[in-house]
Amino acid sequence: MAQLETTWRLQCTVNGGPVDCEVPQDQTLLDFLRIGIGLTGSKGSCLEGECGSCTVIVDGQAVNSCLVLCPQMQGRRITTIEGLACGEKLHVLQETFLDAGAAQCGYCTPGLIMAAKALLDETPNPTEQEFFEGMEGNICRCTGYASICEAIRAAARQWQ
Amino acid sequence: MRNSECGIRNAQHRAARAATAPVRTEPLSEPSHTPYKESPRGPVGRSERRVDGREKVLGTCLYGADLFYQRADYFAQVVRSEMPHARLLGVESEAALRVPGVVAVYTAHDMPGTNRQGLIHRDHPVLAEGLVRYRGDAVAIVVGQSQAAARNGCNAVQVAYEALPVVATMDDALDESAPKLHRDGNVMGGKRIRKGDADRALEEADVVVSETFQTQTVDHAFLDLEAGIAQWDGGVLTIQVSGQWAHEERRLTALALGLPIEQVQIVTPATGGAFGGREDLSLQVYLGMAALKHPGKTIAMQYSREESMRARHKRHAIRIHYTLGAKNDGTITAAKITVYSDEGAYASTGPAVLRKAASHATGPLRVPNVYVDVYGVFTNNNPTGAMRGFGACQMAIAYNSMMDRLAERLGMDPVELWRRNLICDGDEVTTGQRIGIVTATACMDAALAKYRDDRRVDPPLAAHQRRGWGLSVICFGLGYGDGFPDASRATVRFKSDGRMEVATGGVEYGQGLLNMTAQIAAEKCGVPLSRVDVVWADTRRTQESGSSSATRQTYFTGNAVRIAADELREEVLDVAGKLLCVHPHELDIRDARIVGRFDPALSATLDDVLAEGRRRGHRLEGFGIFKPRTVCEDFATGQSPRSFITYLFGAHLAQVVVDVETGEVRIERYVACHDVGKAINPQSVAGQMVGGATQGIGMALMEEVVNEDGVMKNPNFTDYILPTFRDVPEIECVILENDDPGGPFGARGIGEPPLIAAVPAVLSAIGSAVGAQPHTTPCNPQRVWELLHPEQAARPAHPATTPAHAGMNR
Repeated sequence: MAQLETTWRLQCTVNGGPVDCEVPQDQTLLDFLRIGIGLTGSKGSCLEGECGSCTVIVDGQAVNSCLVLCPQMQGRRITTIEGLACGEKLHVLQETFLDAGAAQCGYCTPGLIMAAKALLDETPNPTEQEFFEGMEGNICRCTGYASICEAIRAAARQWQ
Repeated sequence: MRNSECGIRNAQHRAARAATAPVRTEPLSEPSHTPYKESPRGPVGRSERRVDGREKVLGTCLYGADLFYQRADYFAQVVRSEMPHARLLGVESEAALRVPGVVAVYTAHDMPGTNRQGLIHRDHPVLAEGLVRYRGDAVAIVVGQSQAAARNGCNAVQVAYEALPVVATMDDALDESAPKLHRDGNVMGGKRIRKGDADRALEEADVVVSETFQTQTVDHAFLDLEAGIAQWDGGVLTIQVSGQWAHEERRLTALALGLPIEQVQIVTPATGGAFGGREDLSLQVYLGMAALKHPGKTIAMQYSREESMRARHKRHAIRIHYTLGAKNDGTITAAKITVYSDEGAYASTGPAVLRKAASHATGPLRVPNVYVDVYGVFTNNNPTGAMRGFGACQMAIAYNSMMDRLAERLGMDPVELWRRNLICDGDEVTTGQRIGIVTATACMDAALAKYRDDRRVDPPLAAHQRRGWGLSVICFGLGYGDGFPDASRATVRFKSDGRMEVATGGVEYGQGLLNMTAQIAAEKCGVPLSRVDVVWADTRRTQESGSSSATRQTYFTGNAVRIAADELREEVLDVAGKLLCVHPHELDIRDARIVGRFDPALSATLDDVLAEGRRRGHRLEGFGIFKPRTVCEDFATGQSPRSFITYLFGAHLAQVVVDVETGEVRIERYVACHDVGKAINPQSVAGQMVGGATQGIGMALMEEVVNEDGVMKNPNFTDYILPTFRDVPEIECVILENDDPGGPFGARGIGEPPLIAAVPAVLSAIGSAVGAQPHTTPCNPQRVWELLHPEQAARPAHPATTPAHAGMNR
């Protein structure tokens, strides 16, 4: 099979910084982040939009980065797990995840934190229904979700 | 689950038992004023943050797949069999070698060593030799300059097969005309228990109940796909791939590749879940072989989700014929059990799973007459192996369900029936081993108390809803047991910068092993947890600590760390004694200071003492090995005085609402109670309880690998259904802490029991809601509907594995 050599000049913003580079046209956002610019915090797992491990925030919305292609990202503002902490200071969700013991193996954690951030940015005080709608796209195989719920609720109480 | 609800000490129970227990021998109590008595003051017993938590929430933690894009020279990919059962006529690699970027194609002929893998039985060729036995068996390896080149190369490899009849089910395999999948046939030597005279006791029983259960094949579905890198520098092969037992992976890889083990090093990267699914080798040999062929190059490899699910072993689907006899008053007198287990294509850990199933056949029930036969049956399904619960999990479904059936038959309250038949201190389990401290009844009572104390007003039901609740009680022998050598080693030292380093060979895959080791060492040496570094599962830097499985790490490696830290502590106090001119027994270490036990004026900082130690040439390092013996079960009877080092007990309660129109089950309330001996980190223990119960809920209600004619139909997360946020109720945890005399700070462990207890609790609740006991898992809406409409559901006849068939290989 011949290699697809078509590339695309992607210009977007990742974690506040401008990105301008040639990427394969058929590359997913997840592969671009991980391979293209070495941000390995976003994880691949099911690679078909079921588990949410690859969740990043694009213009305020939680997105499965394994399901979108680079050309769709033209001019968009992308935030990944690497963009949350401010120097040594952790983001409130990162703190509450640590306090609640919400990261066990930690593989789903970046995606969960990004999904929770998108949820709380949109709905700082979610109802149970809103909470499920925001979070049900993310699977965790270790924790049984209780500690994650606790962490997100604790973060919601401090959300500004 | 709220933390404040955890850590409930069962002081009343303990006090009551101390007064009445006939068997438990209390250790000689020390005078109350002794200053040496060990009671945790530091991190042990506290819900400290994870020592690896920060990098996990920052996203900087490096898992297998995060290691390689920048560092890889070549990428490898496996060509896998498209056929469940076929003769391999030839592998044509010429077309693949013409694909741009493809560097090499390797088959079994190129393998330098034994080409064998398998954790216990090494019966699985790493690359197929003339025969493929499941769809997913590895046929060849393609090495390319990019992942795409390797993938395209795989597609271009032409494999010639001669299809053979597919042995799709256990019934097929046991048919006399079935093709033999292995040299010794399709039945793998099993395991038996002969205790008392079960046949006679059943004849004499007032009541006899019989049932057949069928459990499903389950996938581990850890999120972190198999991935990693390897290099061969001409002298050492270094492989960075997640596993569960680095030192055994080293041995198995060395064997398969024909290298001395000293020339293989396994470095375990951050590991995103395992649950038994990483006990068998995954990429190690493929990567190692490719690295050997390309010295100096870094080879990388990663499975897709489909490859991960097609290639990896699974939890055994087990069929259990269970007969229980009892007196009219509910006293159980006999159990006769025949178990058939779908081994899939290769045995691997199968024999150990079967032994565990046999030794846990009657769980925490007191049964004087027991007859158990367990067989493994080879098919062309995925190989099966270890998964959380490991044989004991399937048996718990059976004996718990049998208790519901017996209670129904006798017209007795199930709780009363349990109370009458649960073992107590000093009673025997299935293997005849007498258990000194039994807290099965305590767990049941604590779970019931939690359920009743917080009794909520249940919302009224709609006409199409039924409510029910169910109870499960389980026991679990931790460690490998059955005479299998089982040891953990640990090193604890003060580094030159004054920080403490704890090194063990155990794998952390999320369960909390690192905190367990760090908290025990910090507690012993009187330093804050923030001053502890952990090194783990790196064969270059750590000694062997056995596998992270069988709920054994807290007990085994925890003890090794305790012993090592004790040695280090004594060394430090020895130096401090010289510095302060007193006998070391007068000194203690608290908050990184040396303090006088009797004279508060005696004091020195730990840093000063460490500096003094180095000046004096002390090693400031402790080594610990914990290697307790178990006794092999007798071949003919399955009996052993000490098959397992210690036992764990637990009880779960589930309350469900079943929609009788759709068959959907919603869990309304859930209480989990486990006796962990001592919770080294209560938050971590609760995390294991909730996580384990959730996997159990998944197994009870939805998870199922669907095989048709040897082909897995749902090798992806769209079709293999996992519990999500919406599926899991609040799981109320009750942690009992009855010290284990041999555990570190009294700790036993927690990993597997929560899953084992969860499945039968949910099934029992469904049974009580719909008025018919489930016998097949998962109890998805279809099966619930069949329970409600038995006249419309064709019950499988299980022709080949009725107990009458059981004499076949004896």
